Amino acid sequence: MNGLVVRGKTARTILWVLLAAVTLLYGFPFVYLLLTSFKTPLETIAVPATVFGSEFTLENYASALGREGVVASFINSTVTAVLSTVISLVLAVPAAYAITRYRTPGGQVFILVALVCRMVPAIVVGVPLVSLFRDLGIADTSIALAIAHTTLSLPLSIWLMTSFFDAVPDELDEAAKIDGCSRLGALRRVVLPVVSGGVAVTAIFAFLASWNEFLFSLLLTAVRAQTTPIVIANFQTQFGLDWGSMTALAALYSIPVVLLTLVLQRHIVAGLTLGAVKG
Amino acid sequence: MMLPAVAFLAVFVGWPLVQFVRDSFYAIEPFGGGREFIGFANYSAALASDAFTGAAWRTLVYTVIVVALEFTLGLAVALLFSALGDKSRIFRTIFMYPLMIAPVVAGLLWRFLLIDNFGILNELLRRVGILQTTDQIQWLSNPDIALFSVALPDIWLTTSFITLILFAGLQNVPGELLEAARIDGARYTTILFRIILPLLRPVIAVALIIRGIDAARAFDIILIQTNGGPQGSTETLSLLVYRTLVRFGDPGLASAMGTMYLLGMLLVAVVAVYAIWRPGSDRS
Repeated sequence: MNGLVVRGKTARTILWVLLAAVTLLYGFPFVYLLLTSFKTPLETIAVPATVFGSEFTLENYASALGREGVVASFINSTVTAVLSTVISLVLAVPAAYAITRYRTPGGQVFILVALVCRMVPAIVVGVPLVSLFRDLGIADTSIALAIAHTTLSLPLSIWLMTSFFDAVPDELDEAAKIDGCSRLGALRRVVLPVVSGGVAVTAIFAFLASWNEFLFSLLLTAVRAQTTPIVIANFQTQFGLDWGSMTALAALYSIPVVLLTLVLQRHIVAGLTLGAVKG
Repeated sequence: MMLPAVAFLAVFVGWPLVQFVRDSFYAIEPFGGGREFIGFANYSAALASDAFTGAAWRTLVYTVIVVALEFTLGLAVALLFSALGDKSRIFRTIFMYPLMIAPVVAGLLWRFLLIDNFGILNELLRRVGILQTTDQIQWLSNPDIALFSVALPDIWLTTSFITLILFAGLQNVPGELLEAARIDGARYTTILFRIILPLLRPVIAVALIIRGIDAARAFDIILIQTNGGPQGSTETLSLLVYRTLVRFGDPGLASAMGTMYLLGMLLVAVVAVYAIWRPGSDRS
């Protein structure tokens, strides 16, 4: 720890109170979403609004899950996110390994190009992708959507994996080669187990990028492969403003990933800060 | 071993991008009609339209609002965490949760919080006496403030990102340096602006550039709250390109707009890299 820590007792008390207030404010929107999802549908839009409902009901959850296509969309979201995570890792791991081990100028240029790819708005590549996937015969499928989502996560995955591989000394690969491993063998048997934590971090980010993505899903899916964010967005146009069911569905979709944050907190922080702080 | 990744990005980003830019030089009938090469006519049409210049301006304003507010808040919270030391760990975890929430959910949630009659925000403001009635501030239906209001969920979602990155950077600031400054009688603001922020420059650059690009691309978070309204006051470039393409069915014009949008972002990113980061001129 460093010289930024404040030591005075009164000052620390004030700062703790301040931190508690900030956390309360920051946490409120999601807590309110959860509280609202357990209110009766009428109470969700009652005037004046209240923070706590007068009765506890699962009515909103029942009606949200009962809507046509909702359960299927959860399955689609999961399948798409898993597929996209796998594709992203399969492409990023060897690429990042090659970049850190061969250190060719081409590798450095590629990292730069990949970062530029991250800048391209989904709307720009989305429409050409629609016709490309139609020509390939995979329009409106989870695999097509997973490919599109991978274009978003791949640059970050490569970037993250490059940082993780950088931390592994070359001598390890050399030792493996002397023991008779090929380059790929060294990667698979020796280096990958060492960076398994890094692979996990990269996987989490690829999964989240797909799970939360909206515009590609909107452009590339019609009915069969529709993911939950689209269903959530459609709730308001199709059924008027049904806030009760909407809060329930939003809560259902967010709870798994919010829990994931709490469980994997340390790994996520590592992933988020790694590339940036090394500068 | 880089080849598969290179091929993937070439086929699914590069090639679509080439098609998109090529389309910007054509007049294209919607729904598979004919196409005719018209040079830069789409570009001049876009530049001459108020919709495009207005949307470009709103994208810039939106990005500046989001990045400026979340940088200020994010830095303040990161300093707060650092001041409290290791014991603040549990709060750091809680603080991170919005990062995992889908933008479309965040947009929807804030729309619900900000609604004027049964929204909780105005009701709470009324209870503490800041507002007399709950419809006094029409967050999302007053065109003068709507662009600011739609930015709130974006700020809420990603301030944690800035905080985490700056917090990690702050841990690397050498303690002896701060101690020496304090012994010399430097005030906290002096230490912050003269020592801490300059040392964090590369970290700040990365955080601002990543967030700036993402804010400039914001789509679902705005779509779900206002769909570009009221009176077009929240229509940013991503929404305009989408509307021109999908609703009005004018791929040529939309491509010209999108190409300029992309070039603009690239330009700003390059300038930002050189202005803030100044690679090579700093210690790291």
